[in-house]
Order: sequence, then structure tokens, then C-alpha cells
Amino acid sequence: MQQKPIRPGTVLGKAAAYIVMGVFAFMTVYPLVWLFLNSFKTTTEFRTNMMGLPIDWTLDNYISSWRIGAFDKLIGNSILYTLGSTIGITFFSLLTGFAFAKIKSKATGFIYGSFIIGILLTIQSLMVPLFLEVTSIDRGIGNILQSLGLIGPGEFRLFHNTRFGVLIIYIGSALPVGIYMCTEYIRGIPGAIIEAAQIDGAGYFRIFRSIIVGMSKPIAMTLSILNIPLLWNEFALINILVSETNLKSLPLGIYKFSGGLSSDYGKQFAALVIGMLPMLLFYIAFRRQITAGVSMGALKE
Amino acid sequence: MVLPSFLIYLFVFGFPIVLAIVLSLSNYGGGKMFGGAPWRITGFQQYLRLFTDPYFWNALKNNIYIVLISVFGQLPLGFIFAYLIYRKTVKFGEFWQGVLYVPAMISTIVVGILWSIIFSPYGPIADTANHYYADAYSAKISGIFQATGGLADPDALTGRIIKASPSTINTVFSDPSVDLKDFLLSYEPGDTATLQRDLVNLLAPRWNADFLSRNNVAMIPICFVTLWMWVGTYLLIFLANMQKIERSIIEAAQIDGASETQIMGRIVLPSLSKVIANSAILCISGSLSGFALILAMTGGGPARVTQVLSIYMYDKAFMGAPDYPLANAIAIMIVLFSLLLVALMFAFERRFGGKE
Repeated sequence: MQQKPIRPGTVLGKAAAYIVMGVFAFMTVYPLVWLFLNSFKTTTEFRTNMMGLPIDWTLDNYISSWRIGAFDKLIGNSILYTLGSTIGITFFSLLTGFAFAKIKSKATGFIYGSFIIGILLTIQSLMVPLFLEVTSIDRGIGNILQSLGLIGPGEFRLFHNTRFGVLIIYIGSALPVGIYMCTEYIRGIPGAIIEAAQIDGAGYFRIFRSIIVGMSKPIAMTLSILNIPLLWNEFALINILVSETNLKSLPLGIYKFSGGLSSDYGKQFAALVIGMLPMLLFYIAFRRQITAGVSMGALKE
Repeated sequence: MVLPSFLIYLFVFGFPIVLAIVLSLSNYGGGKMFGGAPWRITGFQQYLRLFTDPYFWNALKNNIYIVLISVFGQLPLGFIFAYLIYRKTVKFGEFWQGVLYVPAMISTIVVGILWSIIFSPYGPIADTANHYYADAYSAKISGIFQATGGLADPDALTGRIIKASPSTINTVFSDPSVDLKDFLLSYEPGDTATLQRDLVNLLAPRWNADFLSRNNVAMIPICFVTLWMWVGTYLLIFLANMQKIERSIIEAAQIDGASETQIMGRIVLPSLSKVIANSAILCISGSLSGFALILAMTGGGPARVTQVLSIYMYDKAFMGAPDYPLANAIAIMIVLFSLLLVALMFAFERRFGGKE
């Protein structure tokens, strides 16, 4: 039975609710539509016709900002970083979550606790020490190898300005939440299944591979869905980890358009659209899963 | 099985924290950490420097603004919207929810640049306002021309135009009563249409709320955009948890004649108290790391007034001559500040939170 949510006589309240919702929804969508429309105007037209539809629709902005921004390369990098670290995060979170949830050990409490602290720390606040850490390690190892005569000066790279460094740090930054969610989830898997497998002589890795992974698909899905937009849009960390253009991700490339190119509105708008389109499409494709995932991710204390 | 994750975790969180603590107590000046120029522990010097730096307090103040707008803006708005949808006060709940969540999916950099254009003195807000001003001014001018008979009576015309454009006249003419008259007389008497148009272009008042470049207001757009981005997320979280409340409880309350405010205050709010507390924690840590948004919107400018702690730290470490010890001290302050806020939140929840 459909319940009557509101008493008669609150038509006014209802209208007010619609107006407030409508205004907010409009304020959310309109700037994006405006941006999209303006990306098809030349900069000259934009200056005289800011609010209207484009008079001469043009794709030139897209063509030239794509070229200036080298977006094909950056999008490739972004895909690599996002998928690579999503897979890494999910794998390590499940593995560690399994250990915390099902394997008794004295150290579990302490290590689990230290991961939980990580949920409260925002990794961005650590970007300076993180930068010093990665550059010092690279330089330190590089110097040793150089003194052994194996490589030239400044050639060695492990973490700074490498894809590997970005991936490791992205994985690490998302592990606390991931491990927490997986541990809670795997705790809910009946212990009897695991014990039965143990009696059959399966080791922990075997159990993990054949039982846990299969049963944890929902949480793995949630974790990935939650992480993909965050990783794709990540800026603060990669900004300090990478300085070479061919290693940069899409947000770094977009950011370039806020500096020297800022008076060339046409190209800037096209770059912004290129920057937001992939995740909007992702959102349209997976809206239900994202909605469910976000509410689930914040559910647990 | 835990080891690889734990090593990565130590590498990304543990070691940097230790490093930050050590360096914040040192006089490390960049360069090789070992075997380079010697550096040593110098105690709490950097923190003293920090506490006497007015920019630190300014950044902290801005951070507190953002935390406040987040906790007391995003959460209540998100809650209200969720409640309206939950109680079916508005229909099409999925639609509203879907739309309001969109900003959370867009890169902060894109959002920041987009809004910095919108708020800029050459942006659409200013443009719309200027069109409006110009139209109003144009009407005024043609009224004056009609009333005074145009160039037939240049003195009266000059006087009234000066009166009609108080905000701009002195910026255009150094001695308005003389210069403006000369200007008017330089036109052919029959050419009043051109003259009127030129006067509008020259003297119409202009929108001058250059939000992002004025000291006292530059934080307002940043707070607004923070709100814009995240309301949908909390709407989504609250709504999902409201839908978990047993329908029968609310129905029973309604049968007993409970009012809408009673349902909200006695049933919905208490059963969400834990979720609200968690969201507040999420919100606090999120707003403390609001780095990319401000970098893209203002870069901490003008003259550092919109700096938050993370931008201030970034400036000290990566802009100009690096001051790593101070930057690390700031990092430690951010961590302590966020832990403090979260602890406050926990205490608050324990004190006032509903029983479940």
C-alpha cells in the first residue's frame, strides 16, 4: 500500500520543496550545460555571446586543445593508473581482509588498528614528506649504483617520475578503507566453509583463491566502483609524483589549461569537457552501482 | 598475507609521517638527505616560526571556514534533501538524487577552473550583470535626451548625464562638466543615436564584484563550490540509510498522530545519528584536504588570502626556495588538526547521539 506521506493542507510546503530541489538541481546542471555549449564557440564569439547557443558551431577548440594537451597520451596514462591501481587495491584489500577476518594471529589486532588510523589520515596532507621520501630513495639508490659504475648520474628511477611509483602510492592511499571494508565483509562469510576446506587439506592461499575471491565479488565490485572515480580524478598526489608530460594523467593536463592558456576560453572549455566526460559516462553507465556503493561505503563506522 | 599490504601502507603512510615529524624538528635544507650538506635536529623552532607567521593563521582560519561550511552546510542540506525524497514530499526521487550527485563525479580541477571562469570579472555573471546595467543606463540616457531636447541644450544635457552616471563619470573624464560637454559637442546634432550608444559604452556602470580577486570575499565562492560539489554525496548516504528504517515504525507513529517534525526529530534523526557522525568525519577529513579545488580556483591568491593549510604547505615546499622543515611542520599540524576535529566529533556523538 502506498502510504500517504504528507498531510493535506501542506500544498505550500510541497511547492516550496519542489522549488528548493529545482533550484539546486538547476544550479548543478546548468553550469555544466553552459560549459558544454560554450566549448563549441570560438573565443571571440564567447566574449560577445556568453549565455546564448553557439551561432557558429565549431569543433576547432576540441581539435587544438586535444593536440596542445596531448590528451590521447594522458587519457592512456589515466586508464593505466586507474585500472592498475583499482586491481591492486582490490587484490590486496581482499587478501589482507581475509587474513584479518579469518586467520588468528597475535599481531592482527595491532596491524588492523594501524590500518584503521590510516582511514582518518588524508594522504594529501603528507604530500611533502612523501615527495621527499620518493626522491631521496631514488637518489640514494641511484648514487650507489652510480658509484658502482653501473649507470650515469640521475638515471635511476624507481618511485619518482615512474608509473610504478604512481601505482604503488595510489594503491597504498586506498588500502586503509579497502582493507577495512573487505575485512568486515569477509567476517560475514561462514567459518564452516573455510574449516571444511582446511579439513580437505587446502592451504590459506588455496582457500583464498577458490573460496574467498568467488564469494567476495560484491565487495570487490563495490570497492572498484568507489575507487575508479577517485583515482581517475586524483590530482594532489600525482602532481608531486610526476613531472614528465608523457607520464601525466588527465587532471594534470587539464590543470595546464588554467595557467598560460587561461584567456583562450574556447580551448579551455573544450579541455574541461574532455576532463569531465569520461567520468560522466562512467556515472551514466554505473549509476545504480555507484549509488549503492557510496551509501554502503559510508555506512559502517 | 598481510605483509605486502602492510609494507605498502608503511611506505605510503607510516614512513612519511615519521619523516615529517623528524624533518619538522630539523633544519634540513633540501639536497641529499644522507651524505649531503649536514642537517640536524633543532627542536621546535619550526613550530615557533609557524605560530608567528600570520599566513599560517590565515590559512587555518580559511580551513576552519571550509570545515564549518562542510559540516553545517553540506550535511544539513544533504539531510533535508534526502528527507524530502524519503518522505515523498517531492516525486521522482531517483532523478533528483541522480542529478545532485553529478558534481562528485567530476574532477576537482575541472570544477575549480569552471567556477573560477564563472566568477571571474570577465565571466558570465559579470557579463549578464553588465548587459543589465547597460540596458538600464541606455534607457536613462535616452530619457535624458528626450527631456532636454538633445544637443540643443548642451549644458542641461551635460549636467543631467553627470548626475545619472555617478559611479563612472570621474573615471572617464577628469573634469566632467567641461570635458563631457566638449565630448558631446564633438558629435553632429543629427547624430544623437551614435552619441547615445557611445555614451552607454563609455559611462554605463559595470559589475565589479571580482569575487575571486578581492580579499574579503574570495573565500565565499570557494565555500559555495565546496557545497555545490558535495551536497549530493551526503544526500545519497542519508537517503540510503533512511530507507533502511522500518516503514512500520513511521506508519505506527502516523496513526498515533505524530506530526512531520516529530517523525523527523524522534524517528529519522536518532536512527541516523551514527551515520551522521560518520559523515561528519568524512566531511572534516575531506574538507581538510581540499587542495586541488583551491589550487584550480585561486591558487591561494590573491596575495595568499585564500590559502588553506595544504596550499600553504605546498607553497612552502614546491614554490620558490623550498622550506621543507616548515612544510613538514605544517603537514604535522594538518594531521593533528584533523585528528582533533575527529576526536571532537566522536565526543560529540557520544554525548548527544541517539540510542540505537
